[in-house]
Formats: sequence, structure tokens, C-alpha cells
Amino acid sequence: MYGGGNIFDELKADGVELEDPVKLEAFEARIRRGEKIEPSDWMPQLYRKQLIRMIEQHANSEIIGALPEGTWITRAPGFKRKMALMAKVQDEVGHAQLLYSAAETLGKPREKMIEDLINGKSKYSNVFNYPTFTWADCCFISWLVDAGAIVNQLANVKGSYGPYCRALDRICAEESFHLKYGHHCVIYLATGSQLQRQMFQEALTRWWAPMMHFFGPSDKISMHTEILMKWKVKMGTNDDMRNQFLDMYVPKIWELGFTLPDRNLKKDTQTGRWIYTEPDWEEFKRVINGGGPCNKERLEVRRIAEERGRWVRQALKSPKTNYVTPLA
Amino acid sequence: MSEIALKELLYKMADDQLILGHRNSEWTGMGPLLEEDIAFSSMAQDKVGQSLALYTLLLQLGEHEPDTVAFTRDAQQFHNCILVELPNGEYDFSLIRHFLFDTAEALRFQMLANSSYEPLAQLARKIRGELRYHTLHANIWINQLGSATEESTGRLQRSLEFALPYALGAFEESAYETELISSGIFIGEKMLKDQWVTQIETILQTTNLRIPDWKLIQPVFGGRAGHHSIHLSLLLEEMSEVFRIDPGAEW
Amino acid sequence: MGAPSFEITQDKLRYSFGLINRMTIPPALNSLDPRVHRLPITGEPGPLVPLAPLDQFGTFEVFVQPKDGKPFQHEGIVHAPNLKMAYVLAKETFTRRFTCISMYVVETRNVMVSPMSEGDMNAYDLIDEESVSYNVGEKTRYEIYHLMKRGKQQVHVGSVEASHPQEAFVEAKQMLNSEKAVHNIWAIRTRDIQFTSPEEKDLWLTLPEKKFRDAMEYRGGEKLKQFLEDRKRHPRYE
Repeated sequence: MYGGGNIFDELKADGVELEDPVKLEAFEARIRRGEKIEPSDWMPQLYRKQLIRMIEQHANSEIIGALPEGTWITRAPGFKRKMALMAKVQDEVGHAQLLYSAAETLGKPREKMIEDLINGKSKYSNVFNYPTFTWADCCFISWLVDAGAIVNQLANVKGSYGPYCRALDRICAEESFHLKYGHHCVIYLATGSQLQRQMFQEALTRWWAPMMHFFGPSDKISMHTEILMKWKVKMGTNDDMRNQFLDMYVPKIWELGFTLPDRNLKKDTQTGRWIYTEPDWEEFKRVINGGGPCNKERLEVRRIAEERGRWVRQALKSPKTNYVTPLA
Repeated sequence: MSEIALKELLYKMADDQLILGHRNSEWTGMGPLLEEDIAFSSMAQDKVGQSLALYTLLLQLGEHEPDTVAFTRDAQQFHNCILVELPNGEYDFSLIRHFLFDTAEALRFQMLANSSYEPLAQLARKIRGELRYHTLHANIWINQLGSATEESTGRLQRSLEFALPYALGAFEESAYETELISSGIFIGEKMLKDQWVTQIETILQTTNLRIPDWKLIQPVFGGRAGHHSIHLSLLLEEMSEVFRIDPGAEW
Repeated sequence: MGAPSFEITQDKLRYSFGLINRMTIPPALNSLDPRVHRLPITGEPGPLVPLAPLDQFGTFEVFVQPKDGKPFQHEGIVHAPNLKMAYVLAKETFTRRFTCISMYVVETRNVMVSPMSEGDMNAYDLIDEESVSYNVGEKTRYEIYHLMKRGKQQVHVGSVEASHPQEAFVEAKQMLNSEKAVHNIWAIRTRDIQFTSPEEKDLWLTLPEKKFRDAMEYRGGEKLKQFLEDRKRHPRYE
């Protein structure tokens, strides 16, 4: 799960003019026909670079995203929740594996991607830089952050790069359990005791701002996305994705009797678009650049995991089987 | 058939599975290798699922609901062996524990596939595939890491020597041992332990690890009677943290 | 609304510490997450020291048979130190969900790949039979896979006997070519593959029963409906 499609750094769309025009036209024609680009095909440098970055960020988001929910595995209330959460967080690690593998087909080894993550060189979805204080916070992520990720994933599965689309197919299939599980948890909190309802209402109030940040900066301030849309790397604008999410889930939140901390939030029945208080994009920038409550901890946990595992990997490494770029 | 003897057997098995499954789940998201993280988590889920199946057999024998039994009992009411409650330590300890415990568990269920208590025999036969994977995984990891580098062999050796007294504690005999054997429910801890020793040695022989002198190892008993280390109460406090907010609530 | 309430305040930390301050291992990180709080101090905090060389494992392709009678299909890759470990790891990475009755793995380096065809062309037509030398050595079995559409995955179609990979492609062209255009062909020497033995098929015995991972188990519709009806009758949640 992740807020995919929006790339958190400024896009510099240069270099395309240096590509072979004949090859470029054939490449773009293939995309227009709706055919997938496979690893053995010619592709512009920018396409390769942007895809690696996008898939890598998605993979990073999955492995980091395993942490705010993972913390509640040992504390999940009851067998049903315990086993479900174990499976869900495991799937997130699995998704990271699938996505790193897809990015590897473009030429960057997995270890290099993990190194860049830990060194702060590559990013991941901002929403995971916040702590899950309570079980209800965990349920918020399981339901609504996953729902947001699914909106992105369903759009991206129609993208142009074969390996990424295949990874997303598999991910979407596994996510259907995640979404239903998340909603199920929240329904139980909503229909439970006063304390359970309050726990979720507080979590909702806390997480709404990061959720509004989830789909990335507003279209008015996002730059240079046209070429990514043409190449079907980006399948929808940030605002479109955000609007789709609001349309699908705000009614479901309200139907449970919860309130959202935005008095302006409502659907314009004429345009069909949701109106809301413009999120604080300065705050978004501050957090994604390291200023959030959990940024340091998230990377530190990954770094420790890599360090603790180093003796295992070193011991098993053999010169007989060397790294090879995956085929598909 | 002595119902107390049967229930005691079921409780200790269920408690072993639950506590070890819980411990192993602590590695999810923090494993040494993505694919191994996934594999270890699957096995943890299997164990928790198996504990649920065993608590469900107990429910059918008149005990309380599995959630109540698992999430509200105190440490001294648990009958797991101390081995499974110990903290995870580094991956070498977790792997050694996985190897020692899962080998015993697979043998135990193999024996129970012929139990006179039909529901237990059925369960044992049903989960044989899961146990096959657990032992396949453990054996391959111990074999490969135990013959790799000085560091990996050294770490595994130290963990092995630390864990063995606790592992032997898993075979602590029940007060109802003779009844279990005579009624055909289970052929007993002694038989299990003997087969386990043979199996452990077979795998260790394929590595550079030193096989212990069994005569010199003192088993750490007590878990089966509810005498646990401090680690179990800390584990249970964490495990039941949300549940205890409102034990009557539905989550 | 007031200030963002994600601050990790003293009383939140105190509560967590009440739970975990009896741990004897000194914490690496002050965290509300008990697992993280327990993590041992490892290495130096901060950026990872570059690993030289990268301890990257080899690559292995994974094939899954979803049901009896259906062919094996390529699913993806695992990184592993060797073939046996790749099998053990692939089992959970690729067959822990959905349906599966068998699986096998092979090192990526042992997968021979034909060129990818364009448009309606058949990739078999790109194979130049003239340039291939036959009966160069002992014949051995090769498994053959077809990609029938870009975007899909390789599916097993049969096996041939050949003394080297190029010859295997030619044999496959003669014996396994289809009327519909094949976009890409893979050939793998059978003995390079780590298969599932008949006894090992037990590994997937309980897979269909893992209901706790099915969306179907989490239908909250009834509870929700009841709640909405109650709300209409007694609007107390305002």
C-alpha cells in the first residue's frame, strides 16, 4: 500500500530531446496502442529513470509501511485480529519484494535501493512518518490508508511498464483482503463501546491531515507531469486521485457517525468534485524532508534490521550464484 | 480416558504454539532478508493458527473460548515450556529455537496422527504439510549457516549450547504420563525425546556444529507446571494490552 | 482544529515505558513501539556505510502450478544464495496465497530467452534454423514456455530433447509452435530445475483453508446495517 504516482521530488524533464527520434516514436506508439513495455524493449533514459524512482518509492513505502501496523501485531486483540494483522503486514513485506524485483528489471540492484532508502536518498510515502498511538490508529491505516493506496494502484495497473503492472495485479489481488479487514475493524470500533468509538474518532482527527497529504501536492503546484502522463507512468493527477478517494470513503466515514476535522469538506453536487480546506503543503514538505515525528525512527529501524542481518547474508553469499537482473 | 490428562496435553501444546508463534511474529518487517522475513512470518501464522485449533479442541471439551483462554490467563496458568517464551535475541537464537522446537513438534504431531483421541489425530494429519515446511526450512537454514563462515558457525554453536537445556525442558513429563500412554492418546515424552535426539543429531552431523554431550545437559523444567521466567509475564502483558482495555468488547 | 496531536509527549512515553522498562537490554531507540524499543544497539546510527561489494544474492525464477491439470506459469523472482534455499523461500513468497498445488525454481542464468517479436509476428520466425548446429553432444530434456501476449507471463507448453539451447528452440518450433503468434519463448534445461517431489505436495495441503486471509471473512455488512438502523431510531451519536 502506498501513495503512488506522485513523485516527491521535482521532475526535470530534460534529456528527451537527445533520444533517437525514430526509436522514441516507436516507443510512444507502442504505449498509445496500449501494449506493455517489457525489460528487453528500447526505452528513453528519462522513462527508465522515472520508473525506477517511482517503483522504488512504492517498494520503500511498503517496507516502511509495515512498521506502523507491525507494532500492533504483538498487541492485537484476539485471535482473529492477531492472525489477520500478521498476514497483512507480511503481505506488505511481500509487496516490497515484488516491487523491488520489478524495479530491478530496469537495472538497479535491490541492495542499492535499500541502501538509498536507509541513507535518506530515496523517499517513501509521507503518511508513514507518523506514529500509531493506539489500536484505532492502526485500524485507520488498515482501512483508509490502504484505501488510498488502492485508488492509486488501480490506476497504475493500467500503466505502460509490464513488470510493474504485473506486480500491481498481484498486489491488488492481495489488497482486497486488507481493505475488507480494515473496514471490518473500524465497523467493530464504531459499533462497540463508547471508549472504542472515542478511540477511533481521536485517531481519525489525528490522521486526517496526513491522509489529505497522501495523494501528493495539489495539481496547481505539481510540475512537469505531462510527459509522465503521456508515457503512462503517471495515470491520474494527484487531485483526481484525492477526489476519487474522498468520493468513495467520506460517505462511509460519515455513515459510521464519525466527524472529520474539516468544516469545509463537502461534495459540490454540481461539479461532482469535493471541496475541502487546502492542506498545508509546507507542512507536507517539512515532514517528507525529515521533519516528521517518526522519520528518524523508521530509517533507523531499517538500518538496524540490515545491520543485524548482515552476518546472515555474508555467511550465505556464494561466488557460484551471482546477481543477475530479473527477466520479467 | 482421563479428560484431565488429555486437557493438560492440549493446553501445553496450544500454549507452546501460541507463545512461539507470538515470538516469531516479532520478526515481521525486521528480518535479515525480505524473502526470509516472509517465510518466517508464514510459520508464525501457522503456529498461532495451530494453537487456535488446539484451544478449539479444548472448547469442545468444556473449556472457555480461545480468546478468553489466550488473552486473560496469568503467566502461572500457562503450560508452555520456557524455551518458547525467551526473547528472540539475534537471528541465530531464533533459528536454533525454530530448529529445536519445530523438530520436536513435527515428531509429536506425527505420533499424534495415531492418537486414540480422534479429533486430535485428525488435526495432526491435517497439518502435516505445514510441519513439513517448518522442518524443511529449519533444516536447510541450520545446514547452510552451520557450515558457512566462522561467524555463522560460532553464533549458532553458542545459541545451541544456550538453548539445549531449555529445549529439553519441553519434554518434561506430565503427572498423567502413564495414563496418556495406556489410553493411547499419546506415546509419551520419553519416546518423543529419544526420537528428537536422533533427528537433531542427524541434521547437526551435516554441519560444522558440535553435537552436545547429552549427559552433561541439565534440562530446565518448570514451564509445564506454570513456573516461568520473567519473560512470559512481560510477553503476556504486551499481548493482552488492547484486549484488556475492555475484555467484554468485540474488536 | 488545534495543534497536530502527533507529539510524542512525556505521558505517552511514560505509559509505554511502564510496559517495557523492565527489559534488561538497553534500548537503541526510545519508541512507543515495544518491538522497536527492544531493538539492540547495532552499529552506528545514521547513514549506512556502503557495503563493498554489495551482498546481493543470486536471482531465481519461480513457476507455479495453480491447479491440477493446469500448466506451470512464471510468477516472478526470489533472491537466494542457492537453488535449494530459493525453493524454500519461493514457497512462501509466491504460494502463500491463492491456489497452488506445485511449484519449481531455476536460476535466472539458466533460462534461455528468445528475442521478443513485434506486432503479429511469431517469435519462432525470428529463429534462424540454418545457423544452428545439431547433435553437438548428448541430448537432454528442455522445458519450453510461451508468452502469448505482452504484459502476460510465460506459460509452460511442453518439453523437447536437444543437445544445446539453440537446438531446443528449433525443436520447439517444430513440435510446439502454435497458430496464434508466440511473442517470446523460454527454454530451460530440465535438470537445472528444482522441482517439487510427490511427497512435498503436502506443503500446500492446508492452503485452501487459510480463511483468515480471505476478504470473505471480513464482511461487516450485517453489523453495519444493524448499527445504521439503531442510529435512525436512537440518534445519540452526535
